[in-house]
Amino acid sequence: MNDNPEVRSVPSDFANLDRRSFLKTGLGGALFLGTVSVTAGLSGCGSTPAGRISAVGTRMDASYEFRFLTPDDIQLFEALLPAMIGPGLPEQPHARRMAIAGTIERIDAGIHNFGAANQKELRRLFDLLNFGLTRVTIARVWSSWPNVTAEEANAFLERWRTSGIGLFNNGYIALTKISNVAFYGYEDFWHLSGYPGPPQWAVDALPQFQNA
Amino acid sequence: MQLKDRIAQGLESGWKVTDGATLTENRTLEADVVVIGTGAGGGTTAEILAKSGLSVILVEEGRLYYQKDFKMDELSAYASLYQEGMSRVTKDGAIAILQGRCVGGSTTVNWTSSFRTPDATLNYWAERFGLDALAPDAMAPWFDGREQRHNMEPWAVKPNVNNDILRQGCEQLGYSWQVIPRNVKGCWNLGYCGVGCPTNAKQGALLTTVPGALDNDAHLIHGLRADKLVMNQDRVDHLQASAMAADGITPSGVTVTLKARHFVAAASAIGTPGLLLRSDIPDPHNRIGKRSFIHPVNACVAEMPEKVEPFYGAPQSIYSDHFNFSGGVDGPVGYKLEVPPLHPAMSSGVIPGHGDIQINTMARLPWMNSVIALLRDGFHPDSPGGTIGLRDDGSPYLDYPVTDYLWDGLRRAFHTMAEIQFAAGAKRVRLMHLDSDWYTTLADAKAAIDQLPMELHRVRLFTAHQMGGCGMGANPEESVVNGFGEHHHVGNLSVHDASIFPTSIGANPQLSVYALSARNSTRLANRLKT
Repeated sequence: MNDNPEVRSVPSDFANLDRRSFLKTGLGGALFLGTVSVTAGLSGCGSTPAGRISAVGTRMDASYEFRFLTPDDIQLFEALLPAMIGPGLPEQPHARRMAIAGTIERIDAGIHNFGAANQKELRRLFDLLNFGLTRVTIARVWSSWPNVTAEEANAFLERWRTSGIGLFNNGYIALTKISNVAFYGYEDFWHLSGYPGPPQWAVDALPQFQNA
Repeated sequence: MQLKDRIAQGLESGWKVTDGATLTENRTLEADVVVIGTGAGGGTTAEILAKSGLSVILVEEGRLYYQKDFKMDELSAYASLYQEGMSRVTKDGAIAILQGRCVGGSTTVNWTSSFRTPDATLNYWAERFGLDALAPDAMAPWFDGREQRHNMEPWAVKPNVNNDILRQGCEQLGYSWQVIPRNVKGCWNLGYCGVGCPTNAKQGALLTTVPGALDNDAHLIHGLRADKLVMNQDRVDHLQASAMAADGITPSGVTVTLKARHFVAAASAIGTPGLLLRSDIPDPHNRIGKRSFIHPVNACVAEMPEKVEPFYGAPQSIYSDHFNFSGGVDGPVGYKLEVPPLHPAMSSGVIPGHGDIQINTMARLPWMNSVIALLRDGFHPDSPGGTIGLRDDGSPYLDYPVTDYLWDGLRRAFHTMAEIQFAAGAKRVRLMHLDSDWYTTLADAKAAIDQLPMELHRVRLFTAHQMGGCGMGANPEESVVNGFGEHHHVGNLSVHDASIFPTSIGANPQLSVYALSARNSTRLANRLKT
């Protein structure tokens, strides 16, 4: 994995992003993301943001720099998204990989804007799902995430949705919201909800869209 | 068409506006009054004080965004314009909190509904909290004045289909309904109020009172977080504040000390109690952060036979108060009925689900209507509200228990919403509840509403209206400020935002905040000038 602690400690990296790219990549957040206050007591190298991942050997666009998600988190979402989005993902392998990778990037960008308190709650949730012992005992997912099928991921989501334990419902809401918002909210997938986008006549008439 | 941008012109003309991210060294500034927050309360206060000739510094934690940034895009707007990137929730995660975080505060992202404080609410405040001076007749001129200042008028254009479904359902059932007054001028009826008005039609603080203050030499510092009010004996001596980096999230390490004769907290019903709790403010009766109210919201969606296109058109133009005060002001909880706009990100986040069911639901978005119920909390002993507390890092949270009294109201509201949607011709209706199916008949929906568990997390709950936490009242033992927003114990501290409401309002609160702030700022200006 690509440890890159410097990335986090240099605020000028953020300052260097011009506003357009900041606004473009910033995900609107998990909309009402649930917090999960399980203390799994987990820590270690898994909690370092993935930074820039080489395009070679990964599915990611190397131009994106992860600021929150770790390599383990990325594998978690690679396993969950096929169940989350289901038939909304393209079937063609390359397009499918790109759709998943882009959604994970927008999840990361969104979480960056959540602020420290909600990031801490998400870190706990993701660590709990990534750590083998708690993955098996709490999520009841037997394989490590890269080996989890879409059917198994779906079964896990269903267990947490229908659980009588509020904490698991809350975890379900957190995972589905950040995924749904990052996917359905993105322009390339608006057509799946029949949303044509902002009215073209207004876009044509408004100054902020002109010299783009 | 309004294509002249007030903010761009003002910045060009030399307004005193400082981006906290550009500060490279600590500094101390001084003014007659420091106003913390630039939303409905702070903007109004700053304009009135600045026009009276007082020097004013306006402090805003969020950043300055205006027309050039408002591109009708959900993802970028939620990330930049909302608290915690739209991820703010109550302490247990069960209630999602929609709240602005930018210059103009929530008025920059609200859906423009502009209601006077209901008479029943003002009368209840007079009777219960000794606030006789806020009786409806006394407040009327302040509502008049603010309605003019913000161009508030009942929406004269035909409602969009999403709103018209609420009207039709109410008509069919004999429930009363009315047209919503909106604070817009030359509105294009696009439907993007919630992501920053792209046409400069919305007359929120961003385009009215904040420019009004800046035209009168006020100094706006955005990207600056108010950390702590520091006392010297019985008065606030200064405000300590932290500049944020250009990402708007990370403190840069630069601090600003703001000295003033008077301080006005207008940082919202979560931010202001948080600020006061972090500070050395006397609170002998332990009232700061108590009685927080939120108009708890539940929701139903319906699939209609004809296209609704709920993403287009003025988002809120019809409402029903049929059930708001019908049980008496302090009887079983009442609720106001409205509709929300539905864009893809918002909808996919609000409708709980995943996989095939989710994509099949989302595919019907153009035919979807939603109705929401806003519960009028705080008028009954079994609705004591929530509490604002501080996390280890000093940031505020809202702990809001949902009592049986409120669950009863939420269940009744589900019944009413389903009735209205079927009466308006819905093919099927679904509750925003983890266990809800789509129901194709009213009988099925009502049976489900009676059986489904009314439990945290399973029922999806929201709030867009945060109120209370620094309640006003005549008795210092049960309130934080008096009826003019003046702190009971600290002579040079006032609170001018929704946190002074001793209960919820029973209507979208922006006009209540504008009017009370105008009234209290006019008095404050007179006080400070003599």
